Amino acid sequence: MLQKRSVPVLLFTASIGAFALPADAKPIAFSDGTTIMHERNVNMLEAQAFYAPEFWWSAGPGYLQLTSDDKRKRRDISYLQVNYLVNRWNMPSAQANLFSWAGAGTARSTDNGGITWRRDAVFRYGAQGDYETRRFYSSFKIDGYRSAAFANQVSTLQLGVAPYEHDYEDLATWFLIQFRHYTGGIRDMTDSNSKKLEQTALLRLFKGPVWVELGISRERHSQFMIMYNF
Amino acid sequence: MKTIHRFCLAVTLLALSSALQARTIKIDVDGLVCAFCAQGIEKKMKAQPAVDKVFVSLEKKAVAVSLKDGQDIPDEKLRTEITNAGYVVTGIHRTDESLDVVRSRIKATK
Repeated sequence: MLQKRSVPVLLFTASIGAFALPADAKPIAFSDGTTIMHERNVNMLEAQAFYAPEFWWSAGPGYLQLTSDDKRKRRDISYLQVNYLVNRWNMPSAQANLFSWAGAGTARSTDNGGITWRRDAVFRYGAQGDYETRRFYSSFKIDGYRSAAFANQVSTLQLGVAPYEHDYEDLATWFLIQFRHYTGGIRDMTDSNSKKLEQTALLRLFKGPVWVELGISRERHSQFMIMYNF
Repeated sequence: MKTIHRFCLAVTLLALSSALQARTIKIDVDGLVCAFCAQGIEKKMKAQPAVDKVFVSLEKKAVAVSLKDGQDIPDEKLRTEITNAGYVVTGIHRTDESLDVVRSRIKATK
């Protein structure tokens, strides 16, 4: 079922999409629900906590640490973010969502391995589209951070299949492939396009309110994510 | 004599209304594909004072709730709560069967 939102909101979301930013799980659980999340890999460490007063929006604090492959660039970003469900399509055997978010905060950054640091205000933006059935999962997410000192964007595509169709009380198991692209010198220290695009195999497990992801990239770097809804 | 008749009538009506009282409500829901995301439905339903137990089936795209004795929830309230969990109600069915019977039937028809 299509739930229409106002034109200004769609225009706002379209403008966010034009800037383009990262993505995976949903930033809004359900009305009066709270989601806490932590994710880390070789280039990124992130933590978020969102409370949703209504099923179509949530807000809360977040923290992101980006570190370049050569360890010279680092951004420590603390922010407050508002998430908006632009549209949800509830189908008999599938669900699709379009989310957008924006936020602001402060960033501490260095481009020379920590010899000098600077502090700036930062603007954060992002969007996510996903489509899933009980057998197939897909999502694309962009996350962006802009300050006077840097502009970084992380784009993430996830495609997954489930070996069996889980039911409500079961352990859900998913196998996913993730493609992630970083801009702003986080992962482009090579001329190889294939290395610029991080490719990670993921195992996703969830049961009840707990969601866990474990992964390993082609360069054998680990990725870990845990999320809890209540 | 009149008093006895009235008493018998009252008892009969009371018994009849109790028998007609739905014990379980089965709700058909679109978009039920992920157990993690559907946590909100269980939370919303359990928060209802009239609800005793909740059963969610992704396979049958259904939510079933058992009602406490003598209590009920209007259809509109059920629709509102499922909507607030982020889903769409496509049908509501009431039965005097227990939740366990409804659950067994749902599981048996896989």
